[in-house]
Amino acid sequence: MQNRNTLFLGKVLLQFSDLPSTNEYATELLAKSKPIEGTVISAYYQFAGRGQIGSSWESTPGENLTISILLYPVFLEATRQFQLNKAIALGVRDFLASYIPQAPVYVKWPNDLYINSKKVGGILIQNALQKNTLQSSVVGIGLNINQATFSDAAPHATSLFLETGNVFDLSFLLHELCYFLEVRYLALKQGLDEGLDQDYLRYLYRFGQPSIFKRASGELFQGKICGISDIGRLLIDQEGFIEEFDLKEISFMNIR
Amino acid sequence: MDFKEIQELLRLISKLELTEFKLKEGEFELSVRTKHFSSSKQGVAPVPVPAPVLPVAAVPAPSLVPPAPAPAEPGPAPAAPMPPAPKEAHEAPASDESQYLTIKSPIVGTFYRSPTPDKPAYVKVGDKIEAGAVVCIVEAMKLFNEIESDISGRIIKVLVDDAQPVEYDQVLYLVDPKG
Repeated sequence: MQNRNTLFLGKVLLQFSDLPSTNEYATELLAKSKPIEGTVISAYYQFAGRGQIGSSWESTPGENLTISILLYPVFLEATRQFQLNKAIALGVRDFLASYIPQAPVYVKWPNDLYINSKKVGGILIQNALQKNTLQSSVVGIGLNINQATFSDAAPHATSLFLETGNVFDLSFLLHELCYFLEVRYLALKQGLDEGLDQDYLRYLYRFGQPSIFKRASGELFQGKICGISDIGRLLIDQEGFIEEFDLKEISFMNIR
Repeated sequence: MDFKEIQELLRLISKLELTEFKLKEGEFELSVRTKHFSSSKQGVAPVPVPAPVLPVAAVPAPSLVPPAPAPAEPGPAPAAPMPPAPKEAHEAPASDESQYLTIKSPIVGTFYRSPTPDKPAYVKVGDKIEAGAVVCIVEAMKLFNEIESDISGRIIKVLVDDAQPVEYDQVLYLVDPKG
């Protein structure tokens, strides 16, 4: 089967057998050169992948997609950077959904990917900002593809293999992922924010459903996700009272 | 006007960098006075200025954003005359610091002085930096932003502690361009 073609994303592919972290490599590359937009760095084995500050990303060699993409979203003001997050998250979601027709694929706020309430992947975006504009972005994506078992430390993890029973060709998938990401990124570049906003909510995990949340203080409460603020904060409706949450102020109770 | 609306209003006021704002809606009256740092002449720290807010006394100064303390009911308080602006809390040696430039946060987020907790700070007081140098990270909703300086000079002061929340346009560093 032939890969779908892209305009710029993935045209340059730097493939490594192993790297500590593709994002770190991409950042170093940016510091000493100006790689063309859409350059992809991919590692067969990423042994020190980064999650959020202080957390790590676990990946078995050769079974998963761990890539970083270089973008120059200079058209985007710093205050609108959550739109980039939406475009990337939706691109990854579209990609996954194309292989799992039977189960919905969701984006868990702000940018984790979920199938059947289990995490299949995550995104880590690193921007360089000067004044009020984005100079460059390194978009790191980690997706569990062919991994069949997960350690007890990750009881809520899943993979494309576990969800479908199929084993996938990683280099084929990599180009497909580039295709889906490019579609969403070009929409962002064209200013088609309305579509991105609508789709982000449409595929947002637990949107509009009564759910239990936990505040940073430990207090539990019930509410429904009803939207996302301009800067990406989660809006939760508690019987008509809408409250805004930053990432560190809230966690989901029904999932990890 | 409920608390939420007042909060929203204060945020707007701080965004627009208004120095004074008055609102009258029936019996309800609100006046806010803020001190903003103009880019040419810098104050010291991003201290929340004790804004004379009437009648909602418990609302934080607009440079702060929620979570806010529980508000006093905006009752139909008599419109008291505006008290004189409070004496500057920070009687800074203004002549000293007015010559300095600032590096501000372009977004709302969390300020980190180093790339990861185990690594040294990007810059410290006394360091000489060139335009384009990374001075910190501001993280927002899992997006990590390396903030590059647009000016050259010597770091005089770091105004925010590590891992603290920062507001849009909040001053992060004072820089001496002649340094």
